Amino acid sequence: MSKGSHRELKLLGNAAADFSRKELAPSREENDKYPYGAFFDTVINKAYTIDFFHIILPEDAGGMGQGMAALSVVLEHICQEDSSLGGIIFTCSAAHEIMKAAGSMDVLSQITDVAENVNDFLIAFPVFNNPSEIPHLACARKDGDRYILTGSIEYMVLGNIAAKALVPAKISDDNTFSFFLVDLKDKGISISDPILSLGLHACPATDISFQDVNGILIGEENKGKDYFNAMAEKFHVAAAAMSQGIMKGAFKEALAYTKGRFQGGRQIVNWSEMKMILANMAVKIKVSEMILASATVAVDENGNGWRECAKAAAIHIQELACDLTTDGIQVLGGVGYMKDFGQEKRFRDAKHIQAILGLAPLKKIDYLENFIM
Amino acid sequence: MLSRSEIKSFIERTPSFKNTMPSLQAIPKSPRWMIRETQEVIAIARKFNEEVVKPYVLTLDRKMHEDPDYLPWDFVKKANEWGLYTMWIPKLFGGRGYNMASMSVFVEEIGSVCLSMANLIGVHYLGVATLVASWNTRLIDRICRDVVKGEKTGEPCLITLAITEPGAGTDVEEMDLADKGNITCKAEKVPGGYKLNGTKIFISNGHVSVWHMTIAYENLDKPSDATIMVAVKTGMDGFSFGRMEHKMGQKGCPASELIFKDCFVPDDLVAVDTRQIDKLNRSKKDTMQQIIDYVVAATRAGVAGFATGAARGAFDAAIQFAAGTKVNGKLLINHEWAQCMLAEMYKNVSLARISYVETNYANNLFGMYKLLQLKPVYYFLKIVPHFLLDKIAPGFLNKPFMTWVFRKLQLDFQTDEDFHCTSGWGSLAKFSATDLGIKNCHMALEMMGQAGLRHDRYAEKFFRDAKLLQIYEGTNQLNRLNVFKCFMANDYPQAVVFEE
Ligand SMILES: Cc1cc2nc3c(=O)[nH]c(=O)nc-3n(C[C@H](O)[C@H](O)[C@H](O)COP(=O)(O)OP(=O)(O)OC[C@H]3O[C@@H](n4cnc5c(N)ncnc54)[C@H](O)[C@@H]3O)c2cc1C
Repeated sequence: MSKGSHRELKLLGNAAADFSRKELAPSREENDKYPYGAFFDTVINKAYTIDFFHIILPEDAGGMGQGMAALSVVLEHICQEDSSLGGIIFTCSAAHEIMKAAGSMDVLSQITDVAENVNDFLIAFPVFNNPSEIPHLACARKDGDRYILTGSIEYMVLGNIAAKALVPAKISDDNTFSFFLVDLKDKGISISDPILSLGLHACPATDISFQDVNGILIGEENKGKDYFNAMAEKFHVAAAAMSQGIMKGAFKEALAYTKGRFQGGRQIVNWSEMKMILANMAVKIKVSEMILASATVAVDENGNGWRECAKAAAIHIQELACDLTTDGIQVLGGVGYMKDFGQEKRFRDAKHIQAILGLAPLKKIDYLENFIM
Repeated sequence: MLSRSEIKSFIERTPSFKNTMPSLQAIPKSPRWMIRETQEVIAIARKFNEEVVKPYVLTLDRKMHEDPDYLPWDFVKKANEWGLYTMWIPKLFGGRGYNMASMSVFVEEIGSVCLSMANLIGVHYLGVATLVASWNTRLIDRICRDVVKGEKTGEPCLITLAITEPGAGTDVEEMDLADKGNITCKAEKVPGGYKLNGTKIFISNGHVSVWHMTIAYENLDKPSDATIMVAVKTGMDGFSFGRMEHKMGQKGCPASELIFKDCFVPDDLVAVDTRQIDKLNRSKKDTMQQIIDYVVAATRAGVAGFATGAARGAFDAAIQFAAGTKVNGKLLINHEWAQCMLAEMYKNVSLARISYVETNYANNLFGMYKLLQLKPVYYFLKIVPHFLLDKIAPGFLNKPFMTWVFRKLQLDFQTDEDFHCTSGWGSLAKFSATDLGIKNCHMALEMMGQAGLRHDRYAEKFFRDAKLLQIYEGTNQLNRLNVFKCFMANDYPQAVVFEE
């Protein structure tokens, strides 16, 4: 990696950290009330204007043309405070990446070039399911040179805030699927209320059904699996970066609390069992940092075995984050369970993120089958 | 082969037979009717689940997401109608008198569908247990009969335990820590009673309860020697509710702040104070720890019951998902890795259950349930008609002599070994089962992926709800330390706890 890009990454990291501290942390509890509270439009708009949604978008399409290292650094800082925004950036970027992998840059540019606001820019995508594993697919049929979609898709992330959606759908009866871009304002589309979910409350998902909806084919027919995998192979590091951000946020809050809380006549940080818990948290974070740093470099530099690195990193770091955030609450005792602290949200978000890009156990089996056997 | 004395000496060695096998010792002594009674309890819980809990579980949780200050009176009234708030009040005090151990089984059943609703029922018995552990028969009779009356009139009368303070959570659970803690809930002796000042936080069911078994301290410099337990009634002058916490899970069950400002508590509502326990064999500090441990040895088994329910609920969500979802072209339930994961989850449920069952046997033998589980007492109370007991019991329960007898039997006659066995088992069950509960929630969500994230698939709710179980009734760390204290430290005179 060149010196310049190191500096760029640092700058990007600082900008994300600053944004998290100022824009996300103060209203985390409030923003998390969605869908029973207001959606944090203002924050999303600000993130949009400072190009957090443009990081991996090629320069030709008006983006920053950066790699996974840049996306990861931003996601990590954002998720230290509020992973919902991280989830939105991840989802939209994943949709961009699929379109890029499919060679549909012209279609993508048509969206990004003309977008007048963040909603126009965003693309909804069911990012928590790998359609090759669990076939949640719509049906597509060819009608002249058009494609018509029917059926439904569960848990379409950003379904109620994006203008467009990237939809996996079946054309033939075999195990293949294809991707289509649809306009979510199409009259044949019905969108459910936002689904009440475990975590990432302000990164909403909806169920969507399609009744004779026009779809633009992305790439070639029946190549959906290839495009999804091309995206996922890279995006595993971005998912891991989100988990790492959550871990860092949880540790910071835990350590600060243990220094200010007294039980048994001393700061609780001075009970050695508490030190042990904090030490385990700190070790997890250090290990995660090392793994993620080398995996991201490998991905961006197409290094030897980068796909294995990225996937193994994601599987391991996501597990670490789930363990660590349990302790993050535990360290605070009763208040850790309450909304006025950040730990309970991190506990939910870490588990939520573990499901990104498909079932966690299948990621492991897939790792063995694809890279080892 | 070995003489009796040899056998005795071997089985007393660590790990002692007494501590390791409460069930084997308790079963021959247990009344046979307990089996049928426990079966009946399971059946009642399942019927209640079908008719009340299942249809309401998602609605209540959603309602709480929408309005975190909503009070679940509708559910509390339903549970009251079903008689669930008197089921485990001893018949002697007007209740239905089901054996106490069966309460853990009951909360497992309800908890396997909804931990909030299980808590709305179960935590009332934390209050009952605290009241009972004072062995102040007059006050027990008075308050329990209020609960019974509340059932008849349709005005639920629930009881809480209020011990946690803003500055002292772990510290108020352990007398060894109390004196170093930041304890502020003061009870000042005044003519005719006590004047209470201070705040309690996180009190489960607070806003929907009538009686609050409140722990306060006459001397804040040395609380361990000055602990008192009083009953405060909602509506009393100087007592009010503060905020209701906004929690991650168990949303349907309020966690309340209780505020005391010059709240006068008359002598007849004092369950225990230092004057009353002065004549007992143990020191005031040890007696108060004994009373606290009497309560938590029983109620931590209850928490393990909740946790078993959570482990089971998460397992149910996962197996149903696996049975109905095709993954990579075949049903998930037919993938070998998934079968092993489900078996692991099933094991976690079973081990969690065994932990509370064993604890309850220890409590039957050496703890809170001991007297009522004695066969003659048990059968007498089963057979004698309610109206007869109601006529005679209050008369003698109100006599100070009865309090003296009960305290003698339950406190003085309980040996340190008995006390360590029940307290140790209570803690062991609590942290084991709650860790297993959380483990299953993790596994269910991993297995279900995207589907598990949705509220309408239940798994995410269990995950949020179950986490609380590792925190309340003493954090799991505190309970681990208590297991060390009860089961290991005595063998090593050089070992000290909470003094590093
Ligand atoms: C939803 C909810 C409901 C509750 N219901 C009730 C109720 O009905 N009645 C009631 O009285 N209380 C209730 N509680 C309080 C509960 O029992 C306490 O939260 C618990 O005992 C922990 O106390 P704390 O929260 O003050 O944590 P703290 O005691 O401040 O502990 C913070 C951390 O420090 C650790 N720690 C503290 N001391 C030590 C030590 N000596 N060694 C090592 N580690 C230590 C703890 O393990 C924990 O990790 C409830 C709590 C919650 C969250």
